[in-house]
Amino acid sequence: MPPRVQSRRVSSILLPYLAPSSASIQPSSCPSQILSRQFSATSAPQTKLRREMFAWLNTEGAALKDHVPGETNYLPNPRNFNETNLKPFPHNDNFISESILSEELRNEIYTRVVKKKRSVRAVSVELGVEMKRIAAVVRLVELEQRQRAQGKPLALPYARAVHEMVPTTRLAEKGERQAWHEPINDLPAHPATGAQIFYPVPESRSFTRVDAGRVFSAAPALENERREAISHPSDLAEDVLNKKPGAIEMVGKGDNAREVLLPADARIPHPHLVKMELDRIAFPEERRQIVERNVKRIARQDEIEKSRREKAEAWRERSIRHIEPEGGRFDFRFQNVEFSKQTTGANGRSHKAPGRRYGVPNQSHKRGVTKIPTRVEA
Amino acid sequence: MVVRIRLARFGNKHSPFYNIVVAQARSARGAKPLEVIGTYNPVPKRPTNLYDENPNARPYKEIALDRSRARYWLGVGAQPSDPVWKLLTMAGLVKPKPATYLEKNV
Repeated sequence: MPPRVQSRRVSSILLPYLAPSSASIQPSSCPSQILSRQFSATSAPQTKLRREMFAWLNTEGAALKDHVPGETNYLPNPRNFNETNLKPFPHNDNFISESILSEELRNEIYTRVVKKKRSVRAVSVELGVEMKRIAAVVRLVELEQRQRAQGKPLALPYARAVHEMVPTTRLAEKGERQAWHEPINDLPAHPATGAQIFYPVPESRSFTRVDAGRVFSAAPALENERREAISHPSDLAEDVLNKKPGAIEMVGKGDNAREVLLPADARIPHPHLVKMELDRIAFPEERRQIVERNVKRIARQDEIEKSRREKAEAWRERSIRHIEPEGGRFDFRFQNVEFSKQTTGANGRSHKAPGRRYGVPNQSHKRGVTKIPTRVEA
Repeated sequence: MVVRIRLARFGNKHSPFYNIVVAQARSARGAKPLEVIGTYNPVPKRPTNLYDENPNARPYKEIALDRSRARYWLGVGAQPSDPVWKLLTMAGLVKPKPATYLEKNV
């Protein structure tokens, strides 16, 4: 019988954190295999596929038994042998393994956000990591630290082996320019833009992204005065930032009311980058001033967003009454709701009314409804 | 006929959820009430994050209530059921229900 596939662990050189005793692992030999079919008189029959598998493991597959740190250990691609192989499935060219954050980079993210108190937005722009990923890194590092403090075991050898076998984005050395981990300013696909609309526009009329957003949300066209006040679609991002979030124009009535779709310039995660690029085109000589202005812009946006968040949090705290009965097992949180014509609507079935509704089927078992939690509750 | 403030059970099997409703006393539990003035979720929730750091943090139950409507209905003589009475006591809208068994025992 051909030898069994042995589970190899990561070599001991790669495990600085492990104790030397646990790192040296002898490959286990299994003498019991020979005796495993003692009740059967016939010789152990092998399927063709199984035979082929062992033949492959002894020839081509033998090269893949151990990985080289820093290189992927994927099946060789028959089409190109020279380049770094980033395709785990040789016949699927579209599947490319993306880089993950290196340990140093993720620790740097945590240091900047938590210890140096930099804003998520600023760190995202500096290191080229999406804001959502930054938030996730901070949460996970916090979790890791808590687990360390509680003395829970961590899967360090596993983490190290994975980091060796997939491409990673490393933290730049001093004086080096940080390579971006991913595009950070991706426009989220809004469901309103899914519709294919044929909207004829006269050639003489200027039709910008602002107008396109209005067409998508079935809002009437802008009046000329307001249209002329907008020099560039990114101006709207500034407007949204300055005003309250409720100040975005609404269209539709009652339950059908919705916000008018803003241009992409206002919906991207980092609208200030558009402003910076416009600045660069307008003043190609003033490099330093442009950067300074952008830093100010980020600081201002952070400040406004922070105060907005704090206000919302304070409002939430005020609207909830905490009752803590003595001797009981539970606390109670009373929230204010309103039962009125405005909340129940004309037919009494509006979703704004308190409580589960009558005469409206529960949609929870419909196909496509997400049942797992999709966000972290505070 | 008496108007009561009581709970109406919603939610699936093993996951109860109640509307706090104002209804005629003899109408069915699942019948359409006069008004829905709030909700009561009897499944306790754990405060996130805090729980690991402070093991004494108690789980909490969520209640939503339209206080002004509750006050109005109490004012015109609606009678809360026992569970709702407890909730309204915690909300500070009614006095605790007198425990009559005490008098008997004494």
